Amino acid sequence: MINSDLQALVTTLEMAALTTLILLIIGTPLAWYLAKMTSRFKVIIEAVVALPLVLPPTVLGFYLLIAFSPEYLPGQLWQQTTGQQLAFSFSAIVIGSVLYSLPFVVQPLQKAFEQLGDSLLEAGALLGAGPIDRFFSIVLPLTKASFITAASLGFAHTVGEFGVILMIGGNIPGETRVLSIALFDHVEAFDYARAHLLAISLLIGSMVLLAAIYWLNLPKRNNNKNLNQVRSIK
Amino acid sequence: MLRILLVSILVMNLLAVNSSQAYQSNVNDSKNEDNSKPLRIAVASNFTPVLKVLLEDFTKQTGIKSQVISGASGAMFLQIKYGAPFDVFLSADSRRPKELEQAGYTLKSSRKTYATGQLAFYSSSLSSNANSLSQLSIEEILSIDQLRKPSARFAIANPDTAPYGKAAKEALTHLGLWQAYESRLVKGINIGQTFTKLRSKAVTRGIVANSQLVLNNLSGVIIPSSYHQAIEQQLVIIRRSKQQAAAEKLSHFLLSIESQNRIVSYGYAQTKQVNNANNANNANKKLSELTAK
Repeated sequence: MINSDLQALVTTLEMAALTTLILLIIGTPLAWYLAKMTSRFKVIIEAVVALPLVLPPTVLGFYLLIAFSPEYLPGQLWQQTTGQQLAFSFSAIVIGSVLYSLPFVVQPLQKAFEQLGDSLLEAGALLGAGPIDRFFSIVLPLTKASFITAASLGFAHTVGEFGVILMIGGNIPGETRVLSIALFDHVEAFDYARAHLLAISLLIGSMVLLAAIYWLNLPKRNNNKNLNQVRSIK
Repeated sequence: MLRILLVSILVMNLLAVNSSQAYQSNVNDSKNEDNSKPLRIAVASNFTPVLKVLLEDFTKQTGIKSQVISGASGAMFLQIKYGAPFDVFLSADSRRPKELEQAGYTLKSSRKTYATGQLAFYSSSLSSNANSLSQLSIEEILSIDQLRKPSARFAIANPDTAPYGKAAKEALTHLGLWQAYESRLVKGINIGQTFTKLRSKAVTRGIVANSQLVLNNLSGVIIPSSYHQAIEQQLVIIRRSKQQAAAEKLSHFLLSIESQNRIVSYGYAQTKQVNNANNANNANKKLSELTAK
């Protein structure tokens, strides 16, 4: 019986890790674009990114369920290209989590990019660094702390997700049953002992993970390096 | 430069993770098409513990493996409409199976009542002197409760959405107590949540499913079934299912007299349908036929 909880743990970690990676890949350019954008449509895009914060998860989950079903266009396209049904698959919960956790990754990055200022990038360009080189040798080191925050928030939020996944995942063991849903199942089945066990391990695991990330992110560990970086370029 | 190298290694790792993921899901899929795939049973959470016990025997008798997916009937109803890979759906009501049947999502004439819900009044403060309670009728108990604690919160499931809630409202109306109780009600979204409120003692009294009390070794006062319309819990077999034969075996198994008796022993009422006696007999015959094959 404990095996099914381990299986849920593995599914959860896979889902959260993959979601975080995808979010960093999509979220970084999006945050950069928003930070540098001057158009008056910026507020609209920002509002769209923040929507998952406002929408109740079950509502978002319901519309995603419709979108992912084979009866509607996104679900159809997916089925045509991959040959598999999107709704109730592992891919579906990853896509759902990406949408649901988007603001948690984009917003910290956008704030960091906004505060960065142009002078260092211009100096880098004058020294002959291309855009990609400038990103990796100037932007990334200076905003490392925000990247860690964004990744940890995205990861943590995805682990704790419930409503969206329950709706579009269908609670299928080994595929879409994640820890939060397994926990809910135990409570519903009056199996309070296992529910408590799962809850306490989830709590301790999350505490350790978050503490480790915040330790990595301590200002002392990063400040000196960042300052050196800035000075060496100046 | 070193950084770029590191990043490219990271990206390559990402790709590797992605492709191995894709590979894994392919492997899973080829497994899914196999006949050894378990029978997926979507079940209303109030019946899950009973189903799990019954399934042990079912697997022993038929060798069919199953996977239980427990949830709220309403959510699973929607999921079935949008393509959930379930084979059998054991709802907490009869409305949703009927709707699925009308919309053509179910196997013809697979809709059956597998259990009938029974209501019970539970109070955490009264249960300690259960002996004195048994002397009183439910009318007296509720009237006394209303007189002694007219403002104490009283939990029922939402009468507008949950079948147990609707029945609780009908029973209170039948007893002439609905108006007195209406202002003190706390409504759970389903009977499971209603019971959790009582179990956690957030609310001290309420009307829940008798099966919940039996499963948790608690005692309450049964509310006679004649006070409300029957809470029929029905099952349907999903038309899309590739395991209809196994699903039918399960249906016959659940309707057999042995299973029905066990369901009643877990605090459900006797299923009293016009064709139920026939159903159970036929089910018994069919099950033995099917297992003989």
